[in-house]
Amino acid sequence: MLLSLLILIPLFSVLVLNLPPLLRRAKVSFYCALCFTLAQIALVFFCVFNPQSIVVNPFGSLLELDLSADSISFVVLLSIGITGFITLLVAKYFICEQQNEHNFVSVLFLALAGLNGIVLTSDIFTLYVFLEIAAAASFVLIVINRKKNALEAAFKYIVLSILATTMMLSSIALFLFIAGNTHFASIRAAFNYSSHDFLLILASGLFICGAFIKAGVVPFHGWLPEAYSESPAPVTVFLAGIVTKTLGIYTLIRIVNSVFGFLPAINNLLLFAGAVTITLGALGALAQNDFKRILAYSSISQIGYIVLALGSGTALGLSAALFHFFNHSIFKALLFVNSAATEAQTKTRNVEAMGGLQAKMPATAFTSVIASLSAAGVPPLAGFWSKLMIVIALVASGHPLYALVAVLASVLTLAYLLSLQRRVFFGTLNADCAQVVEARAGLVFAAVLLALITVGAGVFFPFVLNTFILPIEKIFAG
Amino acid sequence: MQNISLLLIVCVPAIGAFLLPLIGRLNRGLRNGLAFIFVLCSCLLSFSLLPCVLSGKVIEIAKYLPLGFNFILVADSLAVFMACVSSAISAVILLFSWDYISHYDNQNEYYSMVVLFLGAMMGLVFSANLILMYIFWEITAISSWRLIGFFRKKTDVLRADKAFLVTVFGSLLMLLGFVSIYQQTGSFDLSVIREYFRHNPLSAVTAALILAGIFSKSATLPFHTWLPDAGVAPSPVTALLHAAVLVKIGVYVYARLFIVNFPVSLLLCSIVPWIAGVSALVCGGAALIGTDFKRIVAYSTISQIGFIFLGLSLGTEIGVFGGLLYILMHGIAKAGLFLCAGIVEQNAGSKDITKLGGLFKVMPLTAVSFLFCVFSVMGIPPFGGFFSKYMVFSALVGNGNQMLTFIFLIGAILTILYLARLFMLVFTGELRIAAKREGSSLMVASVVILALACLAGGFFVGYPSKVVQSVVNQMLTQQ
Repeated sequence: MLLSLLILIPLFSVLVLNLPPLLRRAKVSFYCALCFTLAQIALVFFCVFNPQSIVVNPFGSLLELDLSADSISFVVLLSIGITGFITLLVAKYFICEQQNEHNFVSVLFLALAGLNGIVLTSDIFTLYVFLEIAAAASFVLIVINRKKNALEAAFKYIVLSILATTMMLSSIALFLFIAGNTHFASIRAAFNYSSHDFLLILASGLFICGAFIKAGVVPFHGWLPEAYSESPAPVTVFLAGIVTKTLGIYTLIRIVNSVFGFLPAINNLLLFAGAVTITLGALGALAQNDFKRILAYSSISQIGYIVLALGSGTALGLSAALFHFFNHSIFKALLFVNSAATEAQTKTRNVEAMGGLQAKMPATAFTSVIASLSAAGVPPLAGFWSKLMIVIALVASGHPLYALVAVLASVLTLAYLLSLQRRVFFGTLNADCAQVVEARAGLVFAAVLLALITVGAGVFFPFVLNTFILPIEKIFAG
Repeated sequence: MQNISLLLIVCVPAIGAFLLPLIGRLNRGLRNGLAFIFVLCSCLLSFSLLPCVLSGKVIEIAKYLPLGFNFILVADSLAVFMACVSSAISAVILLFSWDYISHYDNQNEYYSMVVLFLGAMMGLVFSANLILMYIFWEITAISSWRLIGFFRKKTDVLRADKAFLVTVFGSLLMLLGFVSIYQQTGSFDLSVIREYFRHNPLSAVTAALILAGIFSKSATLPFHTWLPDAGVAPSPVTALLHAAVLVKIGVYVYARLFIVNFPVSLLLCSIVPWIAGVSALVCGGAALIGTDFKRIVAYSTISQIGFIFLGLSLGTEIGVFGGLLYILMHGIAKAGLFLCAGIVEQNAGSKDITKLGGLFKVMPLTAVSFLFCVFSVMGIPPFGGFFSKYMVFSALVGNGNQMLTFIFLIGAILTILYLARLFMLVFTGELRIAAKREGSSLMVASVVILALACLAGGFFVGYPSKVVQSVVNQMLTQQ
């Protein structure tokens, strides 16, 4: 199958959908995007079950793009497909104006092209270009409803993002100087024979810092809560579900695994940054009263888990990182869908003003319990398995103290999510919420779908592990 | 055939729990009936396995899964004994809740969670893989969280969160212990672990991590505070937490891991009895000065759990025998106490024992049943509790530790004092609250069943002893 289509179709769709006859036909573009995300999910499944039929890029000489796909890419592509689909379902209710909806879908297509490009490329400069496509598209998405706060948040994001870009670009320049070209394999080879030790360390450090900023790892997390909480609901789902993680975390995973290798210094850096991020993110979440801000801080904390898993420097750690990547994009998207539903019904994001919504919005409440428990790593949900794998990987690689941090931070995670549950859904009905009714059918459908994936991936974990996660161990480059 | 029954014992309640809310939307009577049938089904099937496992046979279902997260259910006599005790008590409690719960909101969630609770308990007792055990362990935490917060008032929900957080804190430490065992032995399967530890010692840190999980679940000092606070739950739920399921999980896992699978370490044998002793003493004292009906009974549970841990941790045959018999007798009696508390709370409208009094005249059957259960917990012959307490004490005396014997003797005296005080204040004296009637016939019938079981446990102590004896034999030969 032609995986390069995952980049080409969205790019061409942006062009075609903006041609005069189709312009302002929001419905058409909306359904095009919906079909594309479904096709992407189907394609990933097809490739996973028919590995022999993968032809990444048949237009090789024509496109001059260096594309490749392995088990890591499939997990991420699948997450992108699912989150994109959910984003579109949510967007139907929150991006109201027709022209705006059309613009939204166009920019979303652009972002999808960028994300898929990041995942499929095997050249560090091409990676950078797609990174910028996706980042630029997400700035526009944040401000798509032209709200003042959103503009402020997007500006903050852009400033930090530019910093990251500069770092990455200088690092790429250094690599080009050392290795002679920017292909992953040549840079990796340069690590073995090159005499420019200092420059290599400098370049790796710069790149990792850039990825940390993009991922919102502490201490570079300042932009993230703002950007998540001020974006329109569907954009938050998209950002939290996949954009930040692909831009920052996937890049980090790919570069560490395919280019730098798991050097002890890098592992220690990742472990330390991961542990700090987990703890501070969770503590930050405990202190918030805004539904979306709680979830934003929770995202920071969960991203820490992925970084920590990667830092264990073992094959199991790598696959655990990817598994948590997938799980996090599902349960965090679900929680943001829930927050969108409650915000739409109660017109507020302040959790103190809600309470006892379970009686009024049973489906939203039930799915949010599932997402919270999965996030806290409570079995038998999917989040439990990835956290368990992370803990096993950490203990096996001789870092029991980091395992202890991961485990204790799970208690903090459970604490802030229970407090969220208590203030929003559990408890007695707040008098202001007496008139609230269940969210619109599309939102409930999106939430139930994600909840089913979380429960299904947890209960049928042998299938998920064997098909998607454990093959990753084979491409571990320790 | 026996494999299928084993699978059904776990799956009927675990899967049935999710059908109940759906059925509840159609017909409430059908839902209540089905909930009872699910529990009864587990109970009857457990009893049907009893003769088979007592003859020494072990039933096993195994499905091997990636990364050692295997699905292995093993029914040996310890597991079946525990399953019988829990499911039988749960069945009575469920019968009680038909009337007790009938006029509150969220009944669908209630029945679903109670049945899931039992299903997870059944899964836990039969699981022979540490991860599988941990999964069921956490499912009980989820359902107890929802059940404790059943009334949805602010304190209820806060305390539900507290219970969830404390038990999860402990269980995550336990998980870390499990992972370090995996690191050592290369497997989560109990059979492999047992073989490994025949020749190798268990590190003290690992043992401490696992003990933290066990103590937090069975509410032993210093993780005990959530249990008295959980008294805000509906009475059948507290009965379930205290008598049938939750705190017994800790005790069971202790027996399963530290007696059957891990090597006997001197450190453990000397520390656990002391923790149990302090726990029995402190919480006995707390029960003596309490004024909240359910809190007193809750503290009593913590103190009695100390006796169970004592019996199990002494490492002698007679101690284990006493501990297991104690699980049975205490379970029956404590369930009876809480259900009586539920009747009093609902009909007298108060849990404050300083405001109650003279209820013997109004609810004689409840009072007599309460008295029977009280006698059993105190350990007065010929009630069942006497025999178990006697066995634990005789193991303790045989162990020769005088200080510890003294502590537990005080613990036992405290038990008599606080329970006598409780009974006097609530049921004797002048009637001070306008409570006119006995509880509904179904509720009274359930407490009478439990009270009679306390008495029968004493008169026919031979039957449970025979079962417990063969359980002990099998455990010690496996060791």
